[in-house]
Amino acid sequence: MSAGGSDGERTAHRPADPTAEEEVPSQAGSSLPAVELPRKRKGDVEERQSLDVQMDDDLSRSEGEDQQVKMKCFREPHSQIEKRRRDKMNNLIDELSAMIPACQPMARKLDKLTVLRKAVQHLKALKAGTSSAFTNTTYKPSILPHDDLRHLLLRAVDGFLLVVTCDRGKILFISESVSKTLNFSRLELTGQSLFDFIHPKDINKVKEQLASSELNPRQRLIDAATGVQVQADAPVRPSHLTTGGRRAFFCRMKQNRVAGKQEDKSPLPTTSKKKETYRYCTLHCTGYMRSWPSSQLDSEGDTEKETSSLTCLVMVCRLISHVSHQPTKDVNVKPAEFVTRCAIDGKFTFVDQRATAVIGYLPQEVLGTSCYEYFHQDDLQHLAEKHRQALRSKEKIETPCYRFKTKYGSYVSLQSQWFSFTNPWTKEVEFIVSLNRVISGPAHAKDEEAGSSKALQEDTKQIPVIPGLSSGVGTMIYAGSIGTQIANELIDSYRMNSSPSSGAPSPFGPAQEKCLLVSPQTSRSVSSREEAAGSSSQSQSDSGTAAGASSGTSESTGESSQLDLDNMVVPGLNNFSSDEAAMAVIMSLLETDVNMGQSGVFEDLHWPF
Amino acid sequence: MTADKEKRRAISREAARRRRRVESDVFGDLCRLLPLQPSVQAHLDKPSVIRLTLSYMRTHTLLKGKMEPKAEASHAVKHGEVTEGGEGRQECDGGCEEEERDTEDVEASEETNMYLRILEGFLMVLSTEGDMIFLSDNVSKYMGLTQTELMGHNIFEFTHPCDHDEIRNNLRLTAEEVWCGAKRDFVMRIKSALTHRGRSANLKSATWKVLHCQGRAKVCVAPSSVSCLVLTCQPLPLSHTLLSTHTFTSQHSMDMKFTYCDQRVTPLLGYSPEELLGRSIYSLCHTLDTNCLTKNHLNLCFKSQSVSGQYRMLVRGGGYVWVESHSAVIPSVRPSKSRPGAHQPLCILSVTYVLSGVEQPSLQLSLDQTVHRHSR
Repeated sequence: MSAGGSDGERTAHRPADPTAEEEVPSQAGSSLPAVELPRKRKGDVEERQSLDVQMDDDLSRSEGEDQQVKMKCFREPHSQIEKRRRDKMNNLIDELSAMIPACQPMARKLDKLTVLRKAVQHLKALKAGTSSAFTNTTYKPSILPHDDLRHLLLRAVDGFLLVVTCDRGKILFISESVSKTLNFSRLELTGQSLFDFIHPKDINKVKEQLASSELNPRQRLIDAATGVQVQADAPVRPSHLTTGGRRAFFCRMKQNRVAGKQEDKSPLPTTSKKKETYRYCTLHCTGYMRSWPSSQLDSEGDTEKETSSLTCLVMVCRLISHVSHQPTKDVNVKPAEFVTRCAIDGKFTFVDQRATAVIGYLPQEVLGTSCYEYFHQDDLQHLAEKHRQALRSKEKIETPCYRFKTKYGSYVSLQSQWFSFTNPWTKEVEFIVSLNRVISGPAHAKDEEAGSSKALQEDTKQIPVIPGLSSGVGTMIYAGSIGTQIANELIDSYRMNSSPSSGAPSPFGPAQEKCLLVSPQTSRSVSSREEAAGSSSQSQSDSGTAAGASSGTSESTGESSQLDLDNMVVPGLNNFSSDEAAMAVIMSLLETDVNMGQSGVFEDLHWPF
Repeated sequence: MTADKEKRRAISREAARRRRRVESDVFGDLCRLLPLQPSVQAHLDKPSVIRLTLSYMRTHTLLKGKMEPKAEASHAVKHGEVTEGGEGRQECDGGCEEEERDTEDVEASEETNMYLRILEGFLMVLSTEGDMIFLSDNVSKYMGLTQTELMGHNIFEFTHPCDHDEIRNNLRLTAEEVWCGAKRDFVMRIKSALTHRGRSANLKSATWKVLHCQGRAKVCVAPSSVSCLVLTCQPLPLSHTLLSTHTFTSQHSMDMKFTYCDQRVTPLLGYSPEELLGRSIYSLCHTLDTNCLTKNHLNLCFKSQSVSGQYRMLVRGGGYVWVESHSAVIPSVRPSKSRPGAHQPLCILSVTYVLSGVEQPSLQLSLDQTVHRHSR
């Protein structure tokens, strides 16, 4: 019996409360310290967090240090532990009294015993109101009546249960919840062929998933440890085909139009062709194969009677959530807007099809050319400056209003938001996304005309000088080179920033270099791990808070109305070179693994799957 | 004097003992009212009894408004009566026979068990403060801790500190979101007391397990407005025993550039595997989906597993397809004595499912799509 946190009021021997880790069931040898975490509810999350991290630190130490940890706990006076336990109990009692309607109108705080007695009465009342199955002892009692559990489950799942035969795809069973997802009733679907309801293009895919024949040559297995595909001609165990073999796939299923809603408003009789166009929704189907030795089969004279077994696919079909698909709303692109993507030197690499309506060019006519070729002379300077800014900042850069040359020679007024996208791993800018908006107005048009004719005259006379850039001969070449030079500046700055201590080339080098195999680096990483270990606690907390911040902001992207890429980059790691940044992330990955204390080699990592 | 004192002390001791006994009795009563197995009941300590009572009461309050879904579900259904299982009769709660209720409860139980088994996950109901109001009993299979050990505790005690912000953001529900049943989909790391062999160990030797949580908000109106999240939590499996025609696997370095891609990609996207090597996935996707991919990438960097959600991949020559990727980080393999030839750096393994056909095949949006047009 460990000294810390002994609970003299226990009704039984073993506590069921995992936070009061007092007794160890069957750990050979080591008696682990009893660290009772104060159970603070509502609001005290930060403290809980730090305690958790503390606990992690404790746990990650190797067993040899157990004695030290135990000593640390003894230093805490028994009275403190007792006090914590009392506080915990008092908190629980308070919560209980808040939940019980009978306790609420009381002016003064009720004593413990009364609250408990009222709780007993309340539970008795609740039980009386629920279905008798609750008290039914014929099968396992559970906290919730099964019906309620099902209701909760369906709320979370947003789908239905489906059992189909493997040979014909006949629907043997489908749960009631299908009516919410597909608007067909259970009765309309049971007994039908599944293929009548699947999108024509997905029929082959589903057929393949249902196939239980051993002769199917297209089975592929993945070795989870290495991610390498196992040879297809390796003998496939029958278990993969029949009972237990898992299936997971996506398919599109028909949705019935909701009764009562008239979708075609025309008073004329609709042609049969129109009636046959259905809407489809995409479902994620997961399940497994089951076969039964069948005693009753339908008397349609199938050959299955010989084998006398029925194989089915039992699966849950879930409507895929569109939560992650929010971006289009966030970006808030209005009709007179289009999105483009440029490499860091300003060359278009992606052009939205809406651009054509604005600039006249088709995407393919513009792709590969530098954006500077289309900017008006007078705007070049400002835009080059903004370009430079965008590459170095994580913020969205608003350009001033500028002129963009359309296919027909005229200029259109645009205003854009530029933000650079940085690869979360390498921390280097990969491209710039531009959200372009048309600024319209008659005043502008006039200015444009006047301006453009003026500009044409000036073109031949004078090439504006942009500080820091050498001017070349010819406008076209000049335009392109602006972008390239700005890009080169950035690349040079990356090179200069990389750690001078590393002799070997960084595996996470500039974007242009092809991805190098990490062979010389792996051993180096291990050796530098010892070095990094010293700063690991700092980098861990850095990356910890950084990760917390970034994941926090990455979540809030859904709420903000703009594409918030600038917050995707993990802050706090900017001080490190890409090498060290990579190491820091790996260290944080390792150190958060609670078992890390035991092993010192990458191989022994206990990865979460 | 001292005898008097002694006597008084004895009396107070007796009184204290009596109080404790009474208290234990009440705790015992409360314990027996909880719908748990008697064997479990015997082992509960007092704080746990209160904790579970609270959970039970909260779940009960939550489900009070459950009567309407039956009506909802049948709005599109023409047939009023359902002959199997007596489900249709649920709408009348007065004259139902006990037997019928039992049958449908058994049916419901089988159905839920089936769901949970197929989904390979457990159900979790979270309050807006993160209290785990309810957990389905198969949680022990995934976390190594039982339903009674966990229910009522706060999720922040069991999840990775770096994920707390994300979890908190997901728990934040505006009134509108709750009423519309807003959806949630995120990945988090939770403590698992399971050993590799599937046995339940002590919480101290817990490892982190990555869970994919999906679900929606739920509200109950009376007595007070309580809103919470109902989620299914599934560990992300990586080995797929049977991949369909519309999927392909790929390996990437940590910056998401392709280092390997299987042949399947060619009929689906038009690229040959060699063409893809060294290319970043970000350049192969629709710009508006950059956000989605970045989130996926960050999940991989920090949590080591991720589900991407749907995004668009550009097809060679024009157009795009909708896809979803399930990925995980594969630990690096160093050459060792037993495997001198084995070598593999830290990399990302991805299984990509193609969800749609090629949309807008004549549309070339990206530079990569045009290059090949010219070279043909």
